[in-house]
Amino acid sequence: MNSEQLWETTLSELELQISRANFLTWLKNSRLLEKKDGGEVLIGLANNFAKEWVENKYHKMIFEILKNHDDSVKKIEYTVVGSKISFSEKNFSENKERQPTLPEFKVDPETGLHPRYVLNSFVVGSSNELAYAASLAVVKNVGSKYNPLFIYGGTGLGKTHLIQAIGNEIKKIYKNKVKVKYVHCEKFVNEVVSGIRNKRMEDIKDRYRSIDVLIIDDIQFIGGKERSEEEFFHTFNVLHENNKQIIISSDRPPASLPTLHERLRSRFEGGMAADITYPDFETRMAIIKTKLAEIKGDLPDNICQIIASRVQRNIREIEGILNKILFYGETKRIGLDSKTVEEIIDNTIKRVDKKVTPNQIIGAVANFFEVLPEDISNHSRRKKVIEPRQISIFLLREILGMSYPDIGEKIGKRDHTTAIHSYEKILRETNKNQPLNQKIALIKELIYENQ
Amino acid sequence: MKFIVLNKNLKDGLRAIERIAEENSNLPILKNFLIESFENKIKLAATNLELGIISFISGKIIENGGLTIPLNLFNSIINNLQVERINLELTKNNKLSIKTDNYQAEIQGIKKEEFPIIPKIKNDEFYLKIQNSELKNILSLIVGAAAQENRPELNGILLDYQTTLLKLAATDTFRLSEKTIFNTQFESNIDKNFKIIIPLKTIQEVIRGLQFNEEGKTAIFFDANQILFKTENTEIISRLINGEYPDYQQIIPKNFETEISLNKDELIGALKLAGVFTDQLNEIKFIIKEGAKNIEVFSFNQSLGENRYLIPAKIKGAAAEVAFNWRFLLDGIKNLASENVFIGLNGSAKPALINSLKDSSWFYVLMPIKG
Repeated sequence: MNSEQLWETTLSELELQISRANFLTWLKNSRLLEKKDGGEVLIGLANNFAKEWVENKYHKMIFEILKNHDDSVKKIEYTVVGSKISFSEKNFSENKERQPTLPEFKVDPETGLHPRYVLNSFVVGSSNELAYAASLAVVKNVGSKYNPLFIYGGTGLGKTHLIQAIGNEIKKIYKNKVKVKYVHCEKFVNEVVSGIRNKRMEDIKDRYRSIDVLIIDDIQFIGGKERSEEEFFHTFNVLHENNKQIIISSDRPPASLPTLHERLRSRFEGGMAADITYPDFETRMAIIKTKLAEIKGDLPDNICQIIASRVQRNIREIEGILNKILFYGETKRIGLDSKTVEEIIDNTIKRVDKKVTPNQIIGAVANFFEVLPEDISNHSRRKKVIEPRQISIFLLREILGMSYPDIGEKIGKRDHTTAIHSYEKILRETNKNQPLNQKIALIKELIYENQ
Repeated sequence: MKFIVLNKNLKDGLRAIERIAEENSNLPILKNFLIESFENKIKLAATNLELGIISFISGKIIENGGLTIPLNLFNSIINNLQVERINLELTKNNKLSIKTDNYQAEIQGIKKEEFPIIPKIKNDEFYLKIQNSELKNILSLIVGAAAQENRPELNGILLDYQTTLLKLAATDTFRLSEKTIFNTQFESNIDKNFKIIIPLKTIQEVIRGLQFNEEGKTAIFFDANQILFKTENTEIISRLINGEYPDYQQIIPKNFETEISLNKDELIGALKLAGVFTDQLNEIKFIIKEGAKNIEVFSFNQSLGENRYLIPAKIKGAAAEVAFNWRFLLDGIKNLASENVFIGLNGSAKPALINSLKDSSWFYVLMPIKG
């Protein structure tokens, strides 16, 4: 019998001997922390009150039960292992959106970098090794090797982690000689807007142009904001001419940034563009292990495997699920089985496919390609609507499993053979055409995002 | 158990413990309190399993013993008794008999062995001692900034001991309040630095207890996960919060675009007046013009109307328009002793700093509301 089972048996016997109220109050969240060779057993209890009570009232009972099951037990010690469960996590304030919080305590106000992102904790696999190698090269040769470094990939795959880690690493190596600045694109846009309003554009120009390493996250948000784009363009040029390093992240490759001006796009393509794709199973396992070490948690291998095989698309989700499972294990004190873990995952990834409607799919495709949803279902043969139409058909079939005649009906009363042809064409393409895969992945994200 | 006690002493003792006995569906005995007589003291104790309060009162002890009885019920009786002396006695079947010259009652209690044992602190050697009124003032000054519900480690106040000084801080991520006291204001025999987080509820009880007990000193003891506040007649023992308090030093603004100094009472008056015209967001606006001799406190509500209040102020630096939650501002300064306050601003999107002009040991950082 291992110590966990021993304690469970003891608890179930104790439960019969004392009242339920007492059991819940004093022994909930208790656990057997350690069994030493000398026969000394260490029991962790929820708080000091429980410790006093159990020590004084239940000690004899517990000792006898333990000894019954394991006669090597000679002595019991009690200690307090704080429980984190007594706090409710209600929303703090109804007007949260407009009352901003103080700047994040941990973020370095100079650079805007969060210290938790470091290269060491970035798990490298085939899905991101190019991006990682490029990042290392940039750290070694700031400003000269790959400039700009453009990293793209879907949500939650580690773009922010990687580019912030580059910043932190550069800061660590070059100390104060190199001025690093990380800024989220939205913040940059806001600064430009308020700069225009307060007639302080000069300050912003000066500030950004004195930087040695500029890191901009989620650049796709700048699309369509002309003044910001122009400001960024000039800043980009000044920095680039002076061999300052620029690092950019985006959710899609430069070529698919539809609203971006050509001159800016061509500059993004001038350096190094590296993608981060979905991690494979082994990488996901490694990520789970790294995260567990980070949060000092522990889970059996089979459970890690379930998580790795179920959560494929988003690493951030892995983190959330891990926390949930650990928390669940801590509060319920029962062994985690694969069924509970599956349930937790199901509840977290609320991708209930049924909720998606055909119109949502067509809308998302239209949105992505910047055409009108009507264009997809009318009979135009213009080149720019053909690909969106075929992808729509493909997704209607793949996500909703609609029949070909239904699909044909939906896409402008077409024949079902058209639907079959389109579906099969895209299916063939996805096997060899990486950019197309990227597009489809992004569209799927759009679909689920808008639910 | 049998004793005679003065009505006033009993009321004082009950007042110290009355707020933490509460209904608990798991353990109904928690709505009771423990009353116990031994040697020449009477002990009253209540707990909610997060903190325990014990208060000692004097009386004429005839027989030792103890019992637990519902606190609300007992309180209602004692509060309505006008006589000076009260006889209390444990009778058969765990009943408490209350007797005065012309009144008699019997309350059903639960035997004292059922009551949770309030933990003790093992360390009684190392302590920190602060004058009661001083401690009360310091805690009241910063407690308003602590989070009510939020991250657990913010649901308390930080005590940061650095041998020659002691820092107390509270934040709920919207604002931050910190007070420093120097070793001229406290006694201590601890020669190591340490940081602990004390639950907000505990601090509130400490403040409450000190209101009626301004003389004398509070001794503070602690071990790895508990803290004890001990005054002459009361002991408050509480768990500590596990966790790391955020390192807040770097968010404290050091330079300001706009600097204002003004009279504190006048500012409080303006905040309360402007607050009349606000909704749940409590938004008021400071309008500061360059070179002006006063600042304008402005508030506006579509359905109520608007008002403006001018406060004479010394202004240095640039013009500014900054919106705040007036309650947050008021929380920060309402317990401040000084006559004037300083407000340092850096535009409408960066944290503002408030301190009292003469005394640099306290400051308050507050995030403006987005315009």
